[in-house]
Amino acid sequence: HVPPRTERMDVDQDWSSVYPTAASFKPASVPLPIRMGYPVKGGVPPTKEGNLELIKIPNFLHLTPPAIKKHCAALKDFCTEWPSALDSDEKCEQHFPIEIETVDYVSAGTSIRNPKARVVTLSVKLSNLNLDDHAKKKLIKLVGERYCKDTDMLTITTDRCPLRRQNYDYGIHLLTVLYHESWKTEMWESEKTEEDMEEYIWENSCSQKNALDTLLRIKASENVSNVTEEELLASEVVKNYRNSVIALKNEGETENNMAQYKESVKKLLNIQALP
Amino acid sequence: MRPLFSFRSARWGGEKMAARWLCRRLCQGSAFPVSYASRITQKQCFLPHSDLMGARLAGSHVDTQEPKTNPLISISDEPETLYKRLSLLVKGHDKAVLDSYEYFAVLAAKELGISVEKVHKPPKKIERLTLLKSVHIYKKHRVQYEMRTHYLCLELKYLTSSTAAVYLEYVQRNLPEGVAMEVKKTKIEKIPEHIREPVWDTLPQVEETEVKL
Repeated sequence: HVPPRTERMDVDQDWSSVYPTAASFKPASVPLPIRMGYPVKGGVPPTKEGNLELIKIPNFLHLTPPAIKKHCAALKDFCTEWPSALDSDEKCEQHFPIEIETVDYVSAGTSIRNPKARVVTLSVKLSNLNLDDHAKKKLIKLVGERYCKDTDMLTITTDRCPLRRQNYDYGIHLLTVLYHESWKTEMWESEKTEEDMEEYIWENSCSQKNALDTLLRIKASENVSNVTEEELLASEVVKNYRNSVIALKNEGETENNMAQYKESVKKLLNIQALP
Repeated sequence: MRPLFSFRSARWGGEKMAARWLCRRLCQGSAFPVSYASRITQKQCFLPHSDLMGARLAGSHVDTQEPKTNPLISISDEPETLYKRLSLLVKGHDKAVLDSYEYFAVLAAKELGISVEKVHKPPKKIERLTLLKSVHIYKKHRVQYEMRTHYLCLELKYLTSSTAAVYLEYVQRNLPEGVAMEVKKTKIEKIPEHIREPVWDTLPQVEETEVKL
């Protein structure tokens, strides 16, 4: 009996006063000819009056673009600006090397707590920490799987404490302990054998001994005056050989490495290339 | 039904509540030419009173109030934490609702001056289950249900903690009911404090005793 409000609305009204907050769909307040629902056979979807489908679905009538702009204009005063000196990832990395990842969960349910929210992940690039050679190797050994060699990132994930702040403190504590422990040199570390080494060192290895041995024997058979080992080591061919062996062992076998090794061996033993 | 505001405001935000925000300059005196200030809101702004339950973010609609800048913003001296990336994952059962939400979130970020790095939609996941159609016997007649979860991922870059708090509170208060859930990943950067120099250098005599934390 009373005409709906839509008939008295003008085209340029302020929509944010009709729907200031989230509200269910009111067909008498929304001047749009919407139809929603599954059509009867040979018919059209039902109109908006008394349409449960339109009421069930969440609507965004309170968040029209002008309303969003008004909200953001009011909120803009509470925002601060990002420092303009940090406009790239590299600069952020340089000044703030540690990254901490935390996750928050928002959902509707009987409880607002989510047990996954207490996990904290700390990542650092080791090049940003003050470590010398021995400390870095020891840290990598201590940390094991948590270090990624390709990106040089140490990632520590903690979730053993019930609260996020505790997990964060524990993560920082772990980092501190690892750092300090890696600078210490224990007595048993002097027993490090060749199998424990991370990279191949040519000095004092079998390869060096064999090469020097062979060269000395060659020189002896040619009856050259006794050349000392230091001279042999300092000679060009031996250095080439050393570089190629180190490259092969550390980087693996590639085309370049094998070719380099071949050349250096040929020069060392003075073999001419086969025709 | 829409949950209560106070219910939702306590849900997120890790350690600190919306009432206390950080700011003025970065700690450890790094050579930044920019010193930026941040603001603290007082509780009334974001936790509306019970009689204003319907009015969200009071101020934009109530024109009779005087401008909000003076009484509600105060600047504190604490250093502000920086978020390198904020990743919002929104899950819902209805794709159309998520599309509208995406438009809203992206527009809000642009208006507040936040750079949006990427908006992408991971593929939907369908969980199906097969149950017996009848209460008793009739094993050959079953009924199948499925639950579809659509995802929407928004990645924002370079936010300060005040801006992040403002944006997240705004966007989370306007989460549609039930259909969309949000999982947020925050990445913070900090400078290590006591990890600059190994402590063994400063303790000459004391050897393997306490580890300084």
